[in-house]
Amino acid sequence: MSEPVDPRLEDLPVPVTRRRKRGWPSAVWIVPVLAVVAAGTLAIRAYLEAGPTIEITFDSAEGLEVGQSDVRYKNVPVGKISSIELVPDQPQILVTVKLQRGAASLAAKDSRFWVERPRIGVGGVSGVSTLLSGAYIGVDRGTSNERVDRFVGLEKPPGVTHDQVGRRFRITADDAGSLGVQSPVYLRRQQVGLISELALTPDGKRVDIEVFISSPYDRDVTDTAVFWNASGLDVSIDASGLHLDTQSLATVVAGGIAFGFRDGDPPGHPAADGAEFNLFEDRGHAMARPDRTRLPLAMRFHEPLRGVGPGTPIDFEGLRIGQIDTLNLGYDAIRHEFFSDVDATVYPERLGAAYAALVDEGKRRDRTGPQMLQALVARGLRAQLRSASLITGQLFIALRWFPNARSPAPVVERDGAWVVPTEPGGTDQIQDQVESIVAKIDKIPFDAIGSDTRDAMHAATSLLGHLDREVVPTAQQLVGQAGAAMTALRDSLGALRDNVAAPDSAIQQTARSTLEQLEFAARSLRGLADYLQHHPESILRGRASGSEPR
Amino acid sequence: MIRGVDLQLASCHGCDLVIRMRGIGRDASAVCPRCDAPVRFRKRNARSHVLALGVAAAALYFPANALTIMYTEQFPERRADTILSGVKFLWDRGSWALAAIVFTASILVPVLKLGALGFLVISTTRHWAWRPRARTRLYRVLEVIGHWSMLDVFVVALLAAVVQLGQFARVSPGPAVLPFAGVVILTMLASASFDARAIWDQGWDRGPGRGAYE
Repeated sequence: MSEPVDPRLEDLPVPVTRRRKRGWPSAVWIVPVLAVVAAGTLAIRAYLEAGPTIEITFDSAEGLEVGQSDVRYKNVPVGKISSIELVPDQPQILVTVKLQRGAASLAAKDSRFWVERPRIGVGGVSGVSTLLSGAYIGVDRGTSNERVDRFVGLEKPPGVTHDQVGRRFRITADDAGSLGVQSPVYLRRQQVGLISELALTPDGKRVDIEVFISSPYDRDVTDTAVFWNASGLDVSIDASGLHLDTQSLATVVAGGIAFGFRDGDPPGHPAADGAEFNLFEDRGHAMARPDRTRLPLAMRFHEPLRGVGPGTPIDFEGLRIGQIDTLNLGYDAIRHEFFSDVDATVYPERLGAAYAALVDEGKRRDRTGPQMLQALVARGLRAQLRSASLITGQLFIALRWFPNARSPAPVVERDGAWVVPTEPGGTDQIQDQVESIVAKIDKIPFDAIGSDTRDAMHAATSLLGHLDREVVPTAQQLVGQAGAAMTALRDSLGALRDNVAAPDSAIQQTARSTLEQLEFAARSLRGLADYLQHHPESILRGRASGSEPR
Repeated sequence: MIRGVDLQLASCHGCDLVIRMRGIGRDASAVCPRCDAPVRFRKRNARSHVLALGVAAAALYFPANALTIMYTEQFPERRADTILSGVKFLWDRGSWALAAIVFTASILVPVLKLGALGFLVISTTRHWAWRPRARTRLYRVLEVIGHWSMLDVFVVALLAAVVQLGQFARVSPGPAVLPFAGVVILTMLASASFDARAIWDQGWDRGPGRGAYE
């Protein structure tokens, strides 16, 4: 301080001095430490809360919005859509979803994702809440432990979610009918499951159906259970009337599958998960005994087969034992004629006890099935086209006996089928029927009927003669007497009219005067009644003087 | 130009009494004889205070922008906005002016403030002689606009209080509000901690020792 100082400065106050506290460098550094800790905590929490990011492809992003739509598991939000993009070169969209940390297990390999939207179907209405909340992505948590981050989204909610307890069974059908995913499965008309998957087999010939039967009903699916298509209405008419069969109103529209057990079948053991079953077209087919033995037959007909087609029954002694499978028209170049080759399947077990007996006989004589058939053909078994009804033109093929059959053809095998010789039918059969009608007409005893008629005529003639001779004269006499009686009656009536009905007759005079007196009496009576009404006291006191009854 | 420091003169921060700093030992500190407030030539540890508060503000700046500041439920929509997404929302809706204001007040200003404070601290530490007048003006501007950065917090607080229409519309503050308020408050404190006189101290390095300033 070498510079000159204004002396007045000396008069300025001087500070009080205190001991300087030596301690921590500066408390202010606590602030950034706290701030960094706070920011770090938030960052760590955000990092910990962030679950996996997954990508799902959908056909349509309808209703989904970035940042708005969430992913829900059992309607609990578990993640958000962070972006929606187009998949390059594919007509699909890619939805990126940020799952919450706790929902990381939803990214299992077999998890399924779908867009929940309002849906209205014949089976019911679903997703109504999304009308207000907007669409969201539903998720079904898979059971796999493997985690993946790419999924292919379903277009519809899955019928069965992984957390449902039950078993799945495979059913193959020729025809899906009106069945679809979610169609119900019934046991004794109670819904116990539904169709979880439905697809054509790779060759496209059959339909592969996966049904899910929820616990505890899955134990009811035993190895003896039979499944049938319960869609629509089963209408049948038989001797006992009209039958209408349906599982529930919903199945009429939406279709469904039912299962049950054949009468007499053992209860069986619960079927294993994934067991395979066959779908019968209706309850009747399902309940029918299974045809274990199939015997393919081939037949060649040299007559038009109009009205015959696949499914036409094969009849033996009145039993329907099989049906036609295919029908092919062929041409014989040597004889220059057309013929029809018919392939059919026969189920010999439908013969019941007869088949057992035949099998027994075959065993006893050590003959094979074809040899047995050969023996039957040798005894005259032939196939014949017959008409079930002349009116509807329905045809069937009958296996009949023709002891003197024209063609004792041997049974040969053709394409694995046994050829049964045929007999011409159709027209022959109509002839048969006509013949039988003629025979019945023949049997009518026209002679006897004629003589009886003649006898009756004779009896009638004699009766008429008798009437003519004896009854007619008496009748004439009676008519004369009746005429006299009528005259007398007329006279009596005339006298009566003169005495009674004439104006000046005595009766008339007397009657008139009587009536006049009666009228007078009635008038007096009315006067008295009026007076009494006005003067009731007169009954006791008599008439007051001066007052006249009116 | 002569400074108060050069004449051993200091003014009390509490009552503006001019004091002649005399007879203060090495281990003693001065106290105003009138109002009992500590007396120093310059704010104590001004630069390290600014630095500490600035670092704290910068640390909180990240969660303030990354987290949700406001949840709005406007049936059937539900939004969770960060400051930046809110600005984008306003911009997309055509409210460009509003978007610009929010962007400036909430995102730009804190950054500029921290940057400016950092510049001032560095320039005074290094005793730069560059345009002290302009730097002083910069500091005054910082002090004034700093208050407006609380705009966002007030908006959220007001909306949350006013818009409560049950299921139909609801606004609730998000987790970013606290860090954001922290940023604003800390930057204000930081700029208040800065001693603008330090800008004019360059060239007097050989004046009183470091201790004399404090």
